[in-house]
Amino acid sequence: MRFDFTDDQQEIKRTAKEMLASRSTLELVRSAAESKAYDPDLWKELCDLGWPGVAISEEYGGGGLGVVELAGLLEEGGYALAGSPLLATTACGAAIQEAGSEQQRETWLPRLATGEATGTLAIAGELAPDAAEADVIVLIESDRSGARLLAGDQASVSAVETIDPTRRYGIVTAEESAGEEMPGDPEAALAIGALITSAELVGICQRSLDVTLEYVKDRKQFGRPVGSFQAVQHKCARMLFQTEAARSATYFAAWAADADRDRLIEGASLAKATASEAGVEVTGSAIQAHGGIGFTWEADIHWFFKRAQLDAAYLDGTKPHRRRLAALAARKVTSPA
Amino acid sequence: MDLTFSAEENEFRDELRQWLAENHPGDEPRGDDDTTFEFRKDWQRSLYDGGWAAVQWPQEYGGRDATLMQSAIFFEEVGRTRAPLPANVLGLLLAGPTIMAWGTDEQKERYLTPILSADEIWCQGFSEPEAGSDLASVKTMAKRDGDDWVVTGQKVWTSGAQYAKWCLLVARTDPEAPKHKGLSYFLLDMDQPGVQVRPLVQITGEAEFNELFIEEARIPHENMLGGEGDGWNVALTTLMNERSGLGFFLQIRLRQLLDQLVEEAVRNGKIKDPVIAEAIGEIEARTEVTRLTAYRGLSTIEKYGQPGPEGSLTKWLWSETNQMLVQLAADVVGPEALSADSKWAYELLRARGNTLEGGTTEILKNIIAERVLGLPRK
Repeated sequence: MRFDFTDDQQEIKRTAKEMLASRSTLELVRSAAESKAYDPDLWKELCDLGWPGVAISEEYGGGGLGVVELAGLLEEGGYALAGSPLLATTACGAAIQEAGSEQQRETWLPRLATGEATGTLAIAGELAPDAAEADVIVLIESDRSGARLLAGDQASVSAVETIDPTRRYGIVTAEESAGEEMPGDPEAALAIGALITSAELVGICQRSLDVTLEYVKDRKQFGRPVGSFQAVQHKCARMLFQTEAARSATYFAAWAADADRDRLIEGASLAKATASEAGVEVTGSAIQAHGGIGFTWEADIHWFFKRAQLDAAYLDGTKPHRRRLAALAARKVTSPA
Repeated sequence: MDLTFSAEENEFRDELRQWLAENHPGDEPRGDDDTTFEFRKDWQRSLYDGGWAAVQWPQEYGGRDATLMQSAIFFEEVGRTRAPLPANVLGLLLAGPTIMAWGTDEQKERYLTPILSADEIWCQGFSEPEAGSDLASVKTMAKRDGDDWVVTGQKVWTSGAQYAKWCLLVARTDPEAPKHKGLSYFLLDMDQPGVQVRPLVQITGEAEFNELFIEEARIPHENMLGGEGDGWNVALTTLMNERSGLGFFLQIRLRQLLDQLVEEAVRNGKIKDPVIAEAIGEIEARTEVTRLTAYRGLSTIEKYGQPGPEGSLTKWLWSETNQMLVQLAADVVGPEALSADSKWAYELLRARGNTLEGGTTEILKNIIAERVLGLPRK
C-alpha cells in the first residue's frame, strides 16, 4: 500500500503549484474578482498544459492520466484560487466519460480535452459553475433519476451573481425534450465532479490554514504573537485536523475512481461530506483567527471563504452526502457481502 | 497512489488469518479482572508459540521484522476477529522497543524473551499526581546507595500494575539539574515490600489503572536504562512507540461498534429518521477517515522516514469519533443504552477515557500547534 502520490504525480502537482503561484497571485485573484472577469490568458495556458484533458482517455484526445492527477491539479487550483472554467469543464468531461454514449463521448470529449470547448455539470435548478458560457452541459435531474447532454444553446441558463466573485455561476434548466438522454448512471456522472470539487476544497483549506498561520505568527497583541495563545493554537490545530480529514477522504475517492470502481460513489460522498464541512469551517476559522481585519474587504481571506461556500454547496453539501453514506451503510449491514 | 496491499502484505495477512482461524481463543470471559488477565496471558502464550507475539520486533529478538504496514495488518486482523490484546501489551509495545533502543546486551538478553512469552508482565510508571501531561515534573526521587538506587514517590494511571513483575520507571536522580535533565530511567522490580499497588476504580466501575506507592524501593544500578540523566530521552523513545500499532486495533473496534449501531438503527427503524441518518453518516465518514488517515500516516513514514502532519491526528480522530458514536447510541438504541451493565452503557462511559488516556486531546492540540504548525510558545 502506498497512500501517497507517486513521484510522477507529485511532480505534476508541484509544477502546477509553482505555475499558479506566479500566474494566480492573490493580487490577480483580487483584480479578477473585482472586475468579475477571468484572466483569459490563464485559461489558455492551462489548456496548453493539457489540464482540461488530463483524465480524459487518450482515445478521445485526452492525456490518459487518471482522476488522481486531475484531483492533484484541482487541489492546486483551489490553493491558488485560480479563476478559470477548469473545475466545470473537467467535471463535465468526467461525467460524459462516465455516463455518455459512445457517440456523445466522440462528439464532446476531444473538444473538452483541449479546452477548445468548455462545459459544466449541473443539477437542475441548482447553482453550477461557468454554466452561462458552457458549450456543453451535463444536466442531472433534480431527483437524480436521469442525465441529459445539452449543447449550450439547448439549455436555458440564468446567470447568478453569487457571493463568490472569483468564479461565474448560473442555474441551468431545460425543456424536457431538449438535448439527448445519457445512458449511464447519473450517480456515477456526479461522483467524479463531487470528488474533484472536494479536491479544490482541500486546496482552499490548506491555503487558508497557511495564510492564517503566517498571520498569527506575525500579529502581536499584549506583547506577544497571537499565535502563542492557546485558544488560537487550538483553533489552528482543528483547522489542520479538518484539512487532513478532507485530504484523506478526497485522495481515497480519487484513487477509487481510477482503481476501485465499486467504491467510487461511496468514496465521492465520503469526500464531499468531509471536504464541504472542512471548507466552510476552516475558512470561517481563518476569518476568525484574523480578528477584525479578517472581516474587511482589504484582507484576502474572504475570497477563500466565499469560494468554499459555493464549492461546499455544489453537487450537494455535507448533510445530503452524509445521508447517502448512512443509506450505503444500512445496505451493507442488511446484505453483507 | 496505490491503496491495494502488496503481494507480501497479502501473504502476511493470509498466513495470519489462517493462524487466527486455527488458534483463536474464543470469546473473552465476562467476569472479574483476574479471569480476564489469565485469559489474555494464555492468549499471548499462544501468540508467542506461533511466533506472532510481536511481529514488529526484529527477528533476532523473536519478532518477524514486520514492516509498519504488516504490523498495522496484524492489529487490524486481531481486532477484526474480536480477539483480545495480549496480556503484556505494554511490554510488547513499550518496554521491548525501549530496551532494544537503550539497553545493554545483558539487559536485552535478560528481559526481551519473558516480555514476548508473557512470563513477565510490564507496566509504565511515568505519570504522577502532580506530573500528568507535564512529565518532566516527576517528583519520585532515586538516591544512590552503594550499588543500588533507593526510590521513593508515587505513580498514577499505572495500567496492569497489579499483574506486573516490572515497571518502566522515570525518577529524579539529580534534584539540582534543570527539570528535564535530572531524570533517569529504571527497570523497577515490582516484587518487593517498598512497592504497593492500589487499584483506581474508574467511572465504569472497573479498575484498569492503579496508583503505585513507592517507599524506599531498591533498584540495582544495573537496572538503569540508558545513563544517569538520560531519563527524559529514554522516556521519549517509550512515548514514541506508544500509539503506532494499537491505533489499528482500536479503529477496527470502532468500525465494529458502528456496524452494530447501524444494524440496530435498521432493525428498529430509526435509520429512517433523517436526523439519525445524518448523524450515522457523519460517524461513517469520520470512521473511514480515521482508517484512511492512519494508513496515509504509515505511507508517509515508510517514504520519508518520519511522520507527516497527518500522523498526529489519528488518535484525536479516533477518540472524538468513538465518543460521538457511543453518544449517538443513547438516541438510537433506546433505554438499554443507559441501563447499567449493558454493552452500550459500558462503551458510553469507557469512551470518556479515550480523549484522556495516552495524552489528552488538549495536550495533543498543543503539540500539533507547536511542532506541526510551528506556532510560537510565547
